[in-house]
Amino acid sequence: MITNFIHMNGYGLYVWSSFGIVIFACSILYYKTRKTLKKYENEFLVELQKLSSKKQLTISQKSKIANYILASQNKVV
Amino acid sequence: MFDFLSPSNIFILLEKLLNFINSIFFALLLVSLTFALVLSPPDYLQGDSVRIMYVHVPSAWISLACYSVLAFLSVINFIFKLKNFFLIAKSMAPIGLMFTCLAIITGSLWGQPTWGTWWAWDARLTSMVILLFFYIAYILSLKLIKPEKMSLKISSLIAIVGAVNLPIIKFSVDWWNTLHQPASIKFSGSSSIHSSMILPLLLMLLVLLLYSALIFLMKYKTEIIRIKKKNINR
Repeated sequence: MITNFIHMNGYGLYVWSSFGIVIFACSILYYKTRKTLKKYENEFLVELQKLSSKKQLTISQKSKIANYILASQNKVV
Repeated sequence: MFDFLSPSNIFILLEKLLNFINSIFFALLLVSLTFALVLSPPDYLQGDSVRIMYVHVPSAWISLACYSVLAFLSVINFIFKLKNFFLIAKSMAPIGLMFTCLAIITGSLWGQPTWGTWWAWDARLTSMVILLFFYIAYILSLKLIKPEKMSLKISSLIAIVGAVNLPIIKFSVDWWNTLHQPASIKFSGSSSIHSSMILPLLLMLLVLLLYSALIFLMKYKTEIIRIKKKNINR
């Protein structure tokens, strides 16, 4: 039964290759996108930490984005 | 006018959406794959090779949908010069490019057992390759042309010109005698596809749409952070 499922009446190579290629391509794009996002989040955080604590506070109060990234970093730590 | 579309407001919403999609995605993927590979019946003529349809058709639909949105946003960009719409278009382009490639590759894998050839210069296939070139041109214009203002203009122009190809792709199977079969699913009129195959097809479409949304949200979030980082000292 499992052999039949894998063989798919002679079309297994085409069917499994199609699904495999789609899953592989989607995984690669997901991994690359996530990696870039993390890289930018970290770079943004480094830039924030370079600023004086007074300026950091002003930016985090003004910007929801800066505030969120700072908060999420604190969660991880 | 478009204040609700400000990056700060959208950013918080993006987080919530990302978490929601992440939480349901894998369960839905598993169910869809079970339907597509196990529960759906083989075709009376094509046998099990018809299962390729469950990845080929949604890929082609998503690639066309992405380009339609891209072209629409580019037109709006030309008129209103909204940076946000440009960011949305920029974040969508790689998704469209990947699904166009997948539609072509899976189509080729389906063509071999059903038509007896991997490739034919048929109207539908050729117009899909042209769409692929427009995606590549759009992405390259964003990456290579400087300054940003110029790249915005040129990429928008490429997207608008490429929109001419969309009706050609859609109606190529009606306008010319092609190897590619006519549309089996019609929004108006009766579809020629059996109902037992519609559910797996819609499920796979939903999964791939959610995946596209996930990638889009992450890319859009990256763009917002990139801009914020640039303006951090202002």
